[in-house]
Amino acid sequence: MTTTHTPPHIRLANEISAQFQQRDPAAAAQEIAQHIQSFWDPRMRAKLIADAGAPGSGLDPLAVAAAALLPPAVHG
Amino acid sequence: MTASGQVATVYVPRDSAARSVGADEVADAVAAQAGRPVRVVRNGSRGMLWLEPLVEVETPAGRIAYGPVAPEDVEGLVAAGILDGATGHPLCLGPTEDIDWLRDQTRVTFARVGVVDPVSAEDYVAHGGLSGLRRALSLSPAQVVAEVTESGLRGRGGAGFPAGIKWKTVLEAGSELKFVCCNADEGDSGTFADRMLMEGDPFTLIEGMTIAAWAVGASEGYIYVRSEYPDAIDTLRAAIGTAYDQGWLGKRVLDSELSFDLFVRVGGGAYICGEETSMLESLEGKRGMVRAKPPIPALEGLFGKPTVVNNVLTLGSVPMILADGPAAYADLGVGRSRGTQVFQLGGNIARGGIVETAFGITLGDLVGRYGGGTRSGRPVRAVQVGGPLGAYLPTSRFDLPMDYEAFAAADAMVGHGGVVVFDDTVDMAGQARFAMEFCAAESCGKCTPCRVGAVRGVEVIDRIVAGVDREKNLKVLGDLCDLMTEGSLCAMGGLTPMPVKSALAHFPDDFATTTTEEGR
Amino acid sequence: MSLIKEQDYGTPARPGEATVSVEIDGKTVLVPEGTSVMRAAAEAGIDIPKLCATDSLEPFGSCRLCLVDIDGRKGSPASCTTPCTPGMKVRTQTPKLAELRRGVMELYISDHPLDCLTCPTNGDCELQDMAGVVGLREVRYGFDGENHLDLPTDSSNPYFDYDASKCIACSRCVRACDEVQGTFALTLEGRGFATKIAAGAGGSFMESDCVSCGACVQACPTATLQERTVVELGMPTRSVLTTCAYCGVGCSFKAELRGDEVVRMVPYKDGKANEGHSCVKGRFAFGYASHPDRQLKPMVRERITDPWREVEWGEAVEYVGKRMLEIQAGHGAGAIGGITSSRCTNEEVYAVQKMVRAAFGNNNVDTCARVCHSPTGYGLKQTYGTSAGTQDFKSVEKADVILVIGANPTDAHPVFASRIKRRLRQGAKLIVADPRRIDLVRSPHIEAQHHLRLMPGTNVALINAMAHVVVTEGLVDREFVAERCEDFDEWERFISGPEHSPEAVEEITGVPAADVRAATRLYASAPNATIMYGLGVTEHSQGSTMVMGMANLAMATGNIGREGVGVNPLRGQNNVQGSCDMGSFPHELPGYRHVSDDAVRNVFETLWGRTLQSEPGLRIPNMFDAAIDGSFRALFVQGEDIVQSDPNTKHVTAALSAMDLVVVQDLFLNETSKYAHVFLPGTSFLEKDGTFTNAERRINRVRPVMAPKTGKHEWQIVCEIAQAMGYPMKYDDAAQIMDEIAITTPTFAGVSFAKLDQVGSVQWPCNDNAPEGTPIMHIDGFVRGRGRFVDTVYVPTKERSTRKFPLILTTGRILSQYNVGAQTRRTGNSAWHPEDLLEMHPHDAEVRGVRDGDTVSLTSRVGETSLRVKIDDRMPVGVVYTTFHHPVTGANVVTTEHSDWATNCPEYKVTAVEVALRNPTPATAAPAMAE
Repeated sequence: MTTTHTPPHIRLANEISAQFQQRDPAAAAQEIAQHIQSFWDPRMRAKLIADAGAPGSGLDPLAVAAAALLPPAVHG
Repeated sequence: MTASGQVATVYVPRDSAARSVGADEVADAVAAQAGRPVRVVRNGSRGMLWLEPLVEVETPAGRIAYGPVAPEDVEGLVAAGILDGATGHPLCLGPTEDIDWLRDQTRVTFARVGVVDPVSAEDYVAHGGLSGLRRALSLSPAQVVAEVTESGLRGRGGAGFPAGIKWKTVLEAGSELKFVCCNADEGDSGTFADRMLMEGDPFTLIEGMTIAAWAVGASEGYIYVRSEYPDAIDTLRAAIGTAYDQGWLGKRVLDSELSFDLFVRVGGGAYICGEETSMLESLEGKRGMVRAKPPIPALEGLFGKPTVVNNVLTLGSVPMILADGPAAYADLGVGRSRGTQVFQLGGNIARGGIVETAFGITLGDLVGRYGGGTRSGRPVRAVQVGGPLGAYLPTSRFDLPMDYEAFAAADAMVGHGGVVVFDDTVDMAGQARFAMEFCAAESCGKCTPCRVGAVRGVEVIDRIVAGVDREKNLKVLGDLCDLMTEGSLCAMGGLTPMPVKSALAHFPDDFATTTTEEGR
Repeated sequence: MSLIKEQDYGTPARPGEATVSVEIDGKTVLVPEGTSVMRAAAEAGIDIPKLCATDSLEPFGSCRLCLVDIDGRKGSPASCTTPCTPGMKVRTQTPKLAELRRGVMELYISDHPLDCLTCPTNGDCELQDMAGVVGLREVRYGFDGENHLDLPTDSSNPYFDYDASKCIACSRCVRACDEVQGTFALTLEGRGFATKIAAGAGGSFMESDCVSCGACVQACPTATLQERTVVELGMPTRSVLTTCAYCGVGCSFKAELRGDEVVRMVPYKDGKANEGHSCVKGRFAFGYASHPDRQLKPMVRERITDPWREVEWGEAVEYVGKRMLEIQAGHGAGAIGGITSSRCTNEEVYAVQKMVRAAFGNNNVDTCARVCHSPTGYGLKQTYGTSAGTQDFKSVEKADVILVIGANPTDAHPVFASRIKRRLRQGAKLIVADPRRIDLVRSPHIEAQHHLRLMPGTNVALINAMAHVVVTEGLVDREFVAERCEDFDEWERFISGPEHSPEAVEEITGVPAADVRAATRLYASAPNATIMYGLGVTEHSQGSTMVMGMANLAMATGNIGREGVGVNPLRGQNNVQGSCDMGSFPHELPGYRHVSDDAVRNVFETLWGRTLQSEPGLRIPNMFDAAIDGSFRALFVQGEDIVQSDPNTKHVTAALSAMDLVVVQDLFLNETSKYAHVFLPGTSFLEKDGTFTNAERRINRVRPVMAPKTGKHEWQIVCEIAQAMGYPMKYDDAAQIMDEIAITTPTFAGVSFAKLDQVGSVQWPCNDNAPEGTPIMHIDGFVRGRGRFVDTVYVPTKERSTRKFPLILTTGRILSQYNVGAQTRRTGNSAWHPEDLLEMHPHDAEVRGVRDGDTVSLTSRVGETSLRVKIDDRMPVGVVYTTFHHPVTGANVVTTEHSDWATNCPEYKVTAVEVALRNPTPATAAPAMAE
């Protein structure tokens, strides 16, 4: 039995974004970015930022918008 | 005028004491052999148990009594014309009300017992039923309580606690929910008045409880009947059903503000459930086990709510008190024992049954004048008053008036009014042993003096009687009696020494060793 | 040190302001109204003889030893059942009373074995004591009368015997079972002299409803109910006060010892969390600590396929330090990390996170709370400002309505459950929201007013519907909201939306709308309503949302900031709260302060002499992901069996297999150690010196009753690893670690071992503002200032039942076992729960042809395992349930990667599965784990 894997950072970013669907998109992106900045290891943020630019990443548009607000991640 | 051919009304008691000596068969025989239409009314017993089955026939001159009637006597009685009130038959006792045994009594609580059809609402009302309740509902609860207090009515279960004071406590207890519980677990040997009232005039008890409910603000009532009384249970249930139909129970009783629901609960065969707190435990569905007091049931009773717990006779006296006013009741009696007591004569007695009369009658009068001495014809040696935990009294104390305080002063008790007679063949050491044995068998097992003490009591008495260290063991027995009296949690253990000590005090020779058979 | 004996006042304390003054033996005593004469005397230092009375139970009045003389009262009333009335004059010693008491004892002893010298409780028997006190010299009845000396002993319970021949029928055991534990398993049977204690309907203790909490054993004044260890080992000679290491209730115990051997664990009456009560785990299941399975020497191996090699401590520590440095050199500072354990002390956890942050030089530290209560930390911090429950346990005594959501206290938090049940018996109302009909829903003398039987995964829809009712039916506490909260208006608009109405979500939750409305009205209109919740809230993909949803509901109804209210997580393990407090999360330093906060970092940098990272590190699931993609290569695991306890076992084992170094510190070799290169033996709670913080934020002392069997404290090993990595880290003792915590962490500023020894325990915050600690939070204002309403959107989990996997699996615990069972499986507790069972509704079983006891396969899209079935209509149709106490079951083989959106807490409570009948074979190891 196998699981078709969405990369974890994509899945997690989408799950966060789902919580903010009802909000104003700009404000939602801000909050998502803040959440990710607070809780994510820089290497996951870096992957997110990298994938956000790529078409077909499977990222929620809110996550893409949030990624754009994240400062460049520096490895710890 | 009753003439031959008209419907005759014949009374044959349904009381279980009468049924136990063939009343059902007699009733069937009357119906079958009358040879003309008869109305057979199954009334309660008049309380003259040696005359049961007592058959009465309605006549213009009142009811004529015949008894004791065996089924095979019926044919002859009918032939003798008793359906028209003929008086020539040898079993004829004349007009019932003129039988001196009955005539000399003061029937208040038992006024309707034996007179009415127990489950007939019309009969009940026709004989003055409901007038107490109607009057009570016209008064405020506090006024009703005041009248009960004024009447001097004391708890008939045995303790003799003033009913009015108990009711006042419950009335003044702050609670949305209160209960009235009737203790009908009549377990004392030689007592049967509760049963006869429930079988013979259940509406009186229902009315009494309804008045109590109004007086204290209760909305639910329970009658806790011992399982050994199946007839009483059936009669009560039928009467309660009728009372609901009549609007005497349920919502807006007699169109008043009072709502009162009444239920019958059947006990499980434990004597201790006649103790009020054990009864409450049992009503709650628990093991019948005595509760420590305080809290008193009047404040924390059934399910922890303020609860009136009264005996059948106490509650059964209330309708008359309210109907006729407290003074009428209080005028009867002596000292602080007001009103009447329903004495029950039993044991080795010639004329056993119910004697309701004012407090103050002497023990000798009850046993001699009413009871007619022993059934065996031998001399009376001892009388136990107040149930199995009451004192054994010798004939030398026949002068004692039936009065709570006088009895207490004589180290005895009136209790529930049971009077059990023994002739001169009785072994009083054996009776003392029986008291301990009874306690050992019936103790709830909670407190040590009763649970263990009663067993040791039997053993010590056996040793005394066997002549083992007699003096030392008499001292041990005395100490044990003191411990049980003083240290027990409830009256069961506390009173068990009473018959033992009275037997020791009045009949010491019976405790001599069995090897020396003198002193009988 | 000697045995600690708490004073027994005979009857419980009565609360209340009003006092009465009485005179006892010439001494004037002032006591609260309702206090018994017996207790008043005890407070005045006058001991009245007693046997049936003990201050954990309501007075009973059966032994009749405590009779006294009261002026103006007839006879000799029992002092236990007689309340003090103003001006009462009592005499406790008169010749008559002495006579009566001797008489009672004479009766007792006439039916008691005369084997004091060979009796296991010789010297610890109240009957023996009282015989002495009353001066019994002779039993004049002799010993040949009727007696109970031939009654048999019931030895069915694994831990204690019931020797009926020694019973004095005082009923203390029966009453303890009723009043303290609330199980009503014991009864008196027979009448009079034949009265005896019976378990259930007269069978053995094991066959009855007995939950083996030990309350009866504790209450028994004689040797009738007696721990078998006392029979076997003899009476203990000394006690050490310590704290239970099982669930988050954190019960205080006296470990009673003979030499260094624990004879028994006795619940401590002055312990604030348990007040003298216990459960089958804490009371009896301590034998694992001395179980032969314990590995006491460190072990090392190069590859996980190599056999283990026992080594000395020095070699093991040097090896770990060297390998960690090598891996960092090869793969970067962030390639290593550590996991702390909620079973370890605050001091041990603090040491690990310090090692990671200062010696490893990163923030890759996480804790096993990640997989249980991380959403609590997030949700309560977002709304109230602090990552902890709002109340103390005692608060529930003031609750009028108790809302239990996703928690099963009678199994998982039994001692607190007894407190809840007592309050319910007093008349508080109960609402249970749970897919299963847990025992609280209906048990003796308890019945929930509402059982909201929701489908797993729909918590948020339900709580939103309740909030909707509050807002739309005018049940909002406007004054509270206006004064104390913020963002209410926006939330009110959100929650008023028709999509949140009970009717609208009925199809989602499966709960009839009318029930939701009625339950909400009950909760919202109660003077005091409290919420208790557990992992049924947190272990969902919307766990954090649900925590915030409950926080919203409590705020909207004004149920915050006083006794009897609040939002209270029931923590699974003993030190979940503490491990979180101690800075175990990758984004937070001790005291829940974000790593990006320069000022906070500065405090630690100054003290620790290292520069700390300002970016969050990896969480446990991130570590596994990073291990699989190769950037995370070494892990230090403190006291947690992640292979058995974390979801999606295959994923976990793949991650561990991919690492270069896995270090496990534990009591026993476990599923995780199969993947480890270094095994560092840990210490049991009986060897630890430190503190645990329970679910009510109470910091309790854990005192060593023996030296570490391994030769070293766990924190010492951690310090040595740090040193081996070149970071100087050293403490003389655990107290020094707590002192450092107090210096660095404002909420702990007033905490020290000395203070705890002095006052027993404190609840944080404990500092200059609250020197005695803080039982109830947010009294004058929320920790974050104003309480914040957060919009809680219901986003359904992606884990749905499908045609292939039509059932929903949810998981939980059972009373006798604890978590992965490493401890309890090595005790007598397995007598109750020898295997994990799959509970399923009769209908679901019927359609699959499954009968009770059949072995079935349990399959999800990620794995398969097999176990036996228990058919039980406590399950709703469509939902199956199992526990995860036995590794052979491998419940987590089937659980998935879904997790809470905010914290990554795994969604253990919802897995789509199918169940199929297997050929009747014994339960087998799960495929993934058999490898």
